[in-house]
Amino acid sequence: MVRGTGLSVSAIEVVDVSKAFAVPHERRTTLKEHFLHPWRREAADVQRALDHVSLTIEEGEFFGIMGPNGSGKSTLLKIVAGIYAPDSGAVRVNGLLSPFIELGVGFNPELSGRDNVRINATLLGLGKRELDERYDAIVEFAELHRYIDRKLKNYSSGMQMRLAFAIAIQVDFDVLLLDEVFAVGDAEFQQKCIATFAEFREAGKTIVLVSHDPTAVRSLCDRVLVLSNGVVAAVGAVEDVLAEPEPADV
Amino acid sequence: MSRVSSVGHRAVGVPWTRRARQNLRILQVIAGAEFKLKYAGSALGYAWSVIKPLSLFTVMYLVFGRLFGLNEISPYYGVSLLIGIVLFGFFSDATSLGMTSLVARQTLLQKLRFPRIVIPVAATVTAGLTFAVNAVVVAGFVAWKQITPQVDWLLIVPLLAELYVFILGIALVLATLLVRLRDIGQVWELALQVLFYASPVIYPVGYLPPFARNLVFVSPFSQVLQDIRALVLYPDLPGNTITAGDALGEYGRLIPIAVALGVFGLGLWLFRRNEQWFAERV
Repeated sequence: MVRGTGLSVSAIEVVDVSKAFAVPHERRTTLKEHFLHPWRREAADVQRALDHVSLTIEEGEFFGIMGPNGSGKSTLLKIVAGIYAPDSGAVRVNGLLSPFIELGVGFNPELSGRDNVRINATLLGLGKRELDERYDAIVEFAELHRYIDRKLKNYSSGMQMRLAFAIAIQVDFDVLLLDEVFAVGDAEFQQKCIATFAEFREAGKTIVLVSHDPTAVRSLCDRVLVLSNGVVAAVGAVEDVLAEPEPADV
Repeated sequence: MSRVSSVGHRAVGVPWTRRARQNLRILQVIAGAEFKLKYAGSALGYAWSVIKPLSLFTVMYLVFGRLFGLNEISPYYGVSLLIGIVLFGFFSDATSLGMTSLVARQTLLQKLRFPRIVIPVAATVTAGLTFAVNAVVVAGFVAWKQITPQVDWLLIVPLLAELYVFILGIALVLATLLVRLRDIGQVWELALQVLFYASPVIYPVGYLPPFARNLVFVSPFSQVLQDIRALVLYPDLPGNTITAGDALGEYGRLIPIAVALGVFGLGLWLFRRNEQWFAERV
């Protein structure tokens, strides 16, 4: 990827990243199986999730990642977020990153909404004072005043998603990663999200959106990358990549 | 070859003191939540953390103190037993919670990036809170026995620190192994039972033949337990307050201390080597 004047800094650089998962047919995780077949390797398929993927996302870009199920979108996002380690290749993220991965940021169902906000905001890097200041804004954005002292297990999936999203955007991030943010949540909340994205865009923040929905990607993103079986099928401006009739499986 | 240089996550340009403070806060928030969770939904709540060791103590005291007459060898048998049970409770609680901590927090591991070691450390700290509550009960019994506090009781602090290092080392080893091998849980449950009876919790260490006594003091748990008993129960008979120093010679304590540090080093090494795979393997 050739960069422009050299003045612009890329927010995310993914260089030649590969990732494979060993998928055992039947996972051998008990001692007995280890004792019975100590030398036998686990019967495993190696599933290549990502195959030499490179991409550069510039600062301030709204970048979309698309592809059918199992094409490696989420794996790529998790590698960028530092949750998975790549088998080979390198990832550079410039600035503070706030991930919103697969509906929720690891909430604990037995704790109240309030406690979960405290835990997850802290894990995302908010200090005590910052959290105190922003706690109300988080609850307000999620529209959960009445339910905040209830246990998370009594929340609907839409409520959990709203809370997770509200926390993720209160972090002082430079890069925001969003995985399937439109999968849950009613139209009204989606409108609110889109309005927030516009604010971030104005503030020059970088946003990476993983989505199935070509309409959302077309309306929000500047550039898009399409993954297919772990390899980059297409990358470029949204108009160019999504102009032709969409493949049926996207 | 894999290299991830993530310049984000407050890693670069943020002084290490700030990062250390943030990690401490993460630890505090998670440990607090764990403590809350431990008794969530139970009517008696935190009271359980005292009821459990006290009931075990009562049973053990009736069986071994009264029925088997260990009570008659020393007026301090009861306090001595209580110290042993509370200390072993801490050991067993902290290692078990630490072991299951990664598996129990798998959703968190799969969604967020943060120093993984915070999870097992928070679990052992939670067990430490329970232990602190129990220590108050022990202090009550000691006062009831009219034992005057001594200045050298301050040595209990480094002794507990040594025990914690040993516990954390075990927790790191077990947590790492449990990610790959789920029946480590059963193995450790069994091992804890063996360790309970292999340590001089119920019986005075002086009852053991010399070779067994020397063997027992290889364990940092037994060394710390006997050192604390010798400090607190100084009016007791010498046979009941034998320490590693008495059994293994002047520098005898160095052996269990080396074991504690060795286990801690092993745990840290194993954990660090495997932590990047936790999210996908757990």
